[in-house]
Amino acid sequence: MDILTGNELLSGATVYLDTEGRWVEDLQAARIFLPEEAEARDAAIAATKKTGRILSLEVEAVKLVDRVVVPLRIRERIRAAGPTAPAFERQHLDEDSHVSI
Amino acid sequence: MYRYDEFDAAFVRERTAQFSDQVRRRISGELSEDQFRPLRLMNGLYLQLHAYMLRVAVPYGTLSSRQMRMLAHLARTYDRGYGHFTTRQNIQYNWPKLRDIPSILADLASVEMHAIQTSGNCIRNVTTDQFAGAAADEIIDPRPVGEILRQWSSLHPEFTFLPRKFKIALTGSPNDRAAIKFHDIGLMAALNGAGEIGWSVYVGGGLGRTPMIGKLINAYVPHEHLLSYLESIMRVYNRYGRRDNKYKARIKILVHEEGLETIKAQVEEEFAQVRGGRLTLPQEELDRIGAYFAPPPFKSLPVAAIDIAREKILDAAYGSWLENNLHPHRVPGYVSVTISLKPIGAAPGDATDAQMEAVADLAERYSFDELRVSHEQNLVLPHVLVSDLPAVYVALVEAGLAEGNAGLISDMIACPGLDYCALANARSIPIAQEISRRFAAPERQKEIGALKIKISGCINACGHHHVGHIGILGVEKKGTELYQITVGGDGTEAAAIGKILGPGFEAEAVPAAIERLVEAYIARRQTPDEPFISAYRRLGDAPFKEALYGTA
Repeated sequence: MDILTGNELLSGATVYLDTEGRWVEDLQAARIFLPEEAEARDAAIAATKKTGRILSLEVEAVKLVDRVVVPLRIRERIRAAGPTAPAFERQHLDEDSHVSI
Repeated sequence: MYRYDEFDAAFVRERTAQFSDQVRRRISGELSEDQFRPLRLMNGLYLQLHAYMLRVAVPYGTLSSRQMRMLAHLARTYDRGYGHFTTRQNIQYNWPKLRDIPSILADLASVEMHAIQTSGNCIRNVTTDQFAGAAADEIIDPRPVGEILRQWSSLHPEFTFLPRKFKIALTGSPNDRAAIKFHDIGLMAALNGAGEIGWSVYVGGGLGRTPMIGKLINAYVPHEHLLSYLESIMRVYNRYGRRDNKYKARIKILVHEEGLETIKAQVEEEFAQVRGGRLTLPQEELDRIGAYFAPPPFKSLPVAAIDIAREKILDAAYGSWLENNLHPHRVPGYVSVTISLKPIGAAPGDATDAQMEAVADLAERYSFDELRVSHEQNLVLPHVLVSDLPAVYVALVEAGLAEGNAGLISDMIACPGLDYCALANARSIPIAQEISRRFAAPERQKEIGALKIKISGCINACGHHHVGHIGILGVEKKGTELYQITVGGDGTEAAAIGKILGPGFEAEAVPAAIERLVEAYIARRQTPDEPFISAYRRLGDAPFKEALYGTA
């Protein structure tokens, strides 16, 4: 299963596509695309590209552990959590940086 | 220090205005990301894992207090109160927002700085010895030539779209502290038969996925022909460098594949055409630029001895700092002071805005307003009176910058790694932190002596792992971080590329593996003064391989 992730244009913040078609900060709100939903996933990618507001758009493989979304790649786990050494809070979206498709 | 003339000021101002308009058009949607990306990269603006990253150039690693204060201001105003000094003597900010970039560039321009030449396939910011203009072993201050190279290479229309990025380093000392043999072009000051100073030119060095030691292409190029000769190399590279494969596009591959003699012949042919032309550097121009770097008004003093043994008895930490963080100055009564950005357990190269302000104050009060950034991610006060050392130390203690570990095992280079970098495969900083904590005790560090550990989070080798006496390369294997350890690298004039001795280690096992290497060295060194790298060269791989992996 996959999620869609990218970085928002103004803040550069890590964001995820949620079930409402909004790009949000919370990984746990990310829409999960099952293998049979490839068409919907690709449509969401195309719609996102049209906004021109999400950079480094990627499809990321995840698993669910006790209903918690966990990216398979360590890179993505660090993107979701922020730098680890020393720990810094993630970048947040600015007031005018919310993107929907 | 060099001051911008009207041409410099105009081009930085124009570039800032251009990029401000490009940012505006990107935000309004007039420019797509595909159109904007190359423009932002030409202005040092990257997109990393968590946010944008702005890389600011510090030409040949030289800063004034005013400039350092501006770097602190940027960290405080537009970022999160810190910056990261890099292995290319630059500084990176990890959290800027796109809308703020025009203001940041305008602020930088107000102190004669910019972020040009910190990305893209151009000639990048020129680097040099961090003790330039101060070192006792220097035969020439390399900064005037560094500045001339900056002026020649900045926005050079012919070399803005090279096959790949291009890095030049130079040193005015025979003791290479700028890793010149690991640059696309390395310049080392040299004397000809008449005792005149010129430059030995090395070409085709580099790190990354294919590490190469630079090859001597010309043992002596006089100042007046240096630009013509370098332009000749650039033209050969620009014409024949491979553009079909990103991984084979650096000049090191061209030199390796074609052979030094072929490249040399091509360069000589080009040089014969351009020699004596518009790039000839008259002595008057060299003198004019050199005047900006005239020595400050040093006092005339006798040689000042420092009784380190006595100081150590009185204050062990101060004694260690004196023992490790001073570098001999060419003027009696003065020393250069390395300000370690490697406090135990900290992220190598990071400095807070308050620390940058404190260092700027020290430079202003005690070092003729001059500062340097080292490629080993430390800062330097180049000209400090020996009699001022106690006051400098006290101020550094207050700023949390008084670690007396320069050149020791905890003075590591580490790239930002997977904590920040979009290219990384594994984290570097936590590995450095754990090693630093393991070897924290000053007595233990002193027992080990000079030892350079360098850590990269991917094969691109920003952390210079290939030239670490002990190098650590992070890779990803089956979803976890794994670290390959190399031994025997050397970034100095005795250039060597470290060897991988066996399989990689998981992160938790790395500090213990380093400890085993250190123990193997201590057990086998001939005297306590034989450095790790000398012992390795004498002993070869076997004892170190055994230390890491046991007997087969």
